[in-house]
Amino acid sequence: MPSSWRSRRLFAFVAFAAPVAVFSAAGRTPGPARTVELTLTAAPARLSLVPGTTSDVFAYNGQVPGPTLEFREGDHVVIHFHNALPEATTIHWHGLHIPSTSDGSPLTPIRPGGSYDYVFTLLPGSAGTYWYHPHPDRRTGYQIAKGLYGALIVRAADDPLAGIPERLLVLSDNRFLPNGEVDFPSPESPQAEIDEENGREGNVVFISGKVMPTDSIRSGGVQRWRIINASAARVYRLALEGHDLIQVGTDGGLFERPVPVKEIVLANSERAEILVRATGAPGSRAVLRALPYDRYAPQTRPLDWNTSRDLLTLQYTDEAPVAPVALPGRLREVPALDTADATVRRVIVFSQGMIDGRKMDMRRVDERARLGATEIWQIENVVGMDHPFHLHGFQFQVLDRNGVPEPFRAWSDGINVPKHGTVRIIVRFDDYPGKWMYHCHILDHEDEGMMGILAVTSTGR
Amino acid sequence: MPHDARATSRLIPALASVFLLVFAIAAWTRSPSPAPPRGDVLRGRHLVITHACGDCHGGFTNPAAPGWLAGVMSPEQEFKIGPCAVTPGAQPCFTTRPRNLTPDNATGLGRFSERQIFNALRYGLRPEDTPDVTITGAKPGVGNFPEHPHYLAPPMPWMSWRNMSDQELFDIAAYLKRGLKPVANKVQDSEGPPDFWAGEYADPKYGSYPAPAFPTANEVRP
Repeated sequence: MPSSWRSRRLFAFVAFAAPVAVFSAAGRTPGPARTVELTLTAAPARLSLVPGTTSDVFAYNGQVPGPTLEFREGDHVVIHFHNALPEATTIHWHGLHIPSTSDGSPLTPIRPGGSYDYVFTLLPGSAGTYWYHPHPDRRTGYQIAKGLYGALIVRAADDPLAGIPERLLVLSDNRFLPNGEVDFPSPESPQAEIDEENGREGNVVFISGKVMPTDSIRSGGVQRWRIINASAARVYRLALEGHDLIQVGTDGGLFERPVPVKEIVLANSERAEILVRATGAPGSRAVLRALPYDRYAPQTRPLDWNTSRDLLTLQYTDEAPVAPVALPGRLREVPALDTADATVRRVIVFSQGMIDGRKMDMRRVDERARLGATEIWQIENVVGMDHPFHLHGFQFQVLDRNGVPEPFRAWSDGINVPKHGTVRIIVRFDDYPGKWMYHCHILDHEDEGMMGILAVTSTGR
Repeated sequence: MPHDARATSRLIPALASVFLLVFAIAAWTRSPSPAPPRGDVLRGRHLVITHACGDCHGGFTNPAAPGWLAGVMSPEQEFKIGPCAVTPGAQPCFTTRPRNLTPDNATGLGRFSERQIFNALRYGLRPEDTPDVTITGAKPGVGNFPEHPHYLAPPMPWMSWRNMSDQELFDIAAYLKRGLKPVANKVQDSEGPPDFWAGEYADPKYGSYPAPAFPTANEVRP
């Protein structure tokens, strides 16, 4: 029996421990809180990603994407992580507002063979769609491309959309050699240089690990789709043929009220929650497409950028239509962060592969903020390609994009900064001191050093 | 005094080696990035006018003209680079656009340091793609010279103007950053090959920096 088989057998088991009911000592939430313990192992595996071929991958608990983790607001979460990879890694809980010691940033690598317990509490109001992925120094893009990414959902007890059937769409793409192995170009090849500019885009797009899947829907019904852009660089401009969409949330959970949209642009690491009203006839079908989106610099814009891609077929069942469901007009309250409270205004300049003209240095602190401070960050992109901004640890609200005020309030941890564009956000560093990353979420740019470190301290110095 | 002369002749090489050693140590211990020259705005203005910056970047030789150095404002100011410049429709064909050189933060050089402008003029490096550092190397990957340099698009003649002195190039940077009012004029990025012209500028026709010693085969000592 090959040893790799044995190690996979040992580690591949998804150990969702039985939730243990405890009473919240902190009294943050009324009623019982739970402690949820689970085990995640990152290990090499051999799986079939593209039908008909197999690939050497890295997998969480033997799966690509990794298991979908579901929690409730108020849960105290303990994740026992084992690194069975041949290289250092971390797990970053993308978007969660949790202590910096559990953030899984490049500052806390887990060596090969090592283990770490990620421990955090999911605060009230944190219900939303998140994801988890590695974040080691310079290897994030490689490890995610090898298969390490998964969805994480936090649910609220008073979810206004409870009962509506859900789908999870984790969008990712990859590039393969003819023999099925994941294709990483040699560092000096022209393709590697183009990847360095554009970020690595693959010609195979996966929807939660499947290529062009078919999902079903019953005419007249409604589905709630949670969509995650887990791609290294591909930006998705999503439209569902023949259907209008209703957006109900972003990175940090639900809006205050539903917003009708024709399409959704989802930059790297961003999430959206939408409602799909099944307005089609029984037996009909509709295709979810990624429409052309020009995020590129003209020098490296792909020749096929202007073509659409089919992602998923939505097949209507033959059943008679159900009566349309009434949707709530109001979802929840999103309290405003008040610009009058902002004590600090920062300008963060994105250029190609750099922030403020510098590459990341793990020994350097680039910005210092005082614990409890409300700040306005103005992120300016001075180059001719889009760069999606991501801040670790704190949800923020977008104030305006290119001077145009944001039409409604939402919580985000990532925002696309379009070519030669400026985005202003407001954020409150309300707890959790420590060192936090902010960076471009095109993974190749992040790995090249398009990242800075924010230190949140009690003094702000 | 033949004896003394002999002694002196022995002493000179000895002293020389001591001096050399001292110089070598001084050079070695010297700060790796000495303070760059402080540019002079008016000298920079003179250089900008005499080097025809405005012919492409706007305003020709008239600093009072509207759009002075503010970049492309109409398609006639764009360039076609490649065979299509001669034969319409021929490929490859890149449209390049003189940039806004005024210190506007969003659309001009406002967010770039004078050092980045110096690096653009001396090494041809696009300021938005190049770290704000002092470059001491002459080839990619050496002395802060980027591993994969992104060069300014043709026909920007930085290969000629890199031969100006450090002081002169910093004078130009000073004028662009401190001697001009910002003008908001967004110029679309230039097109180009994915190597950002690295292959083109490897052509020996552009010579080297610094220029070869005088006289070359084409030149005579008067």
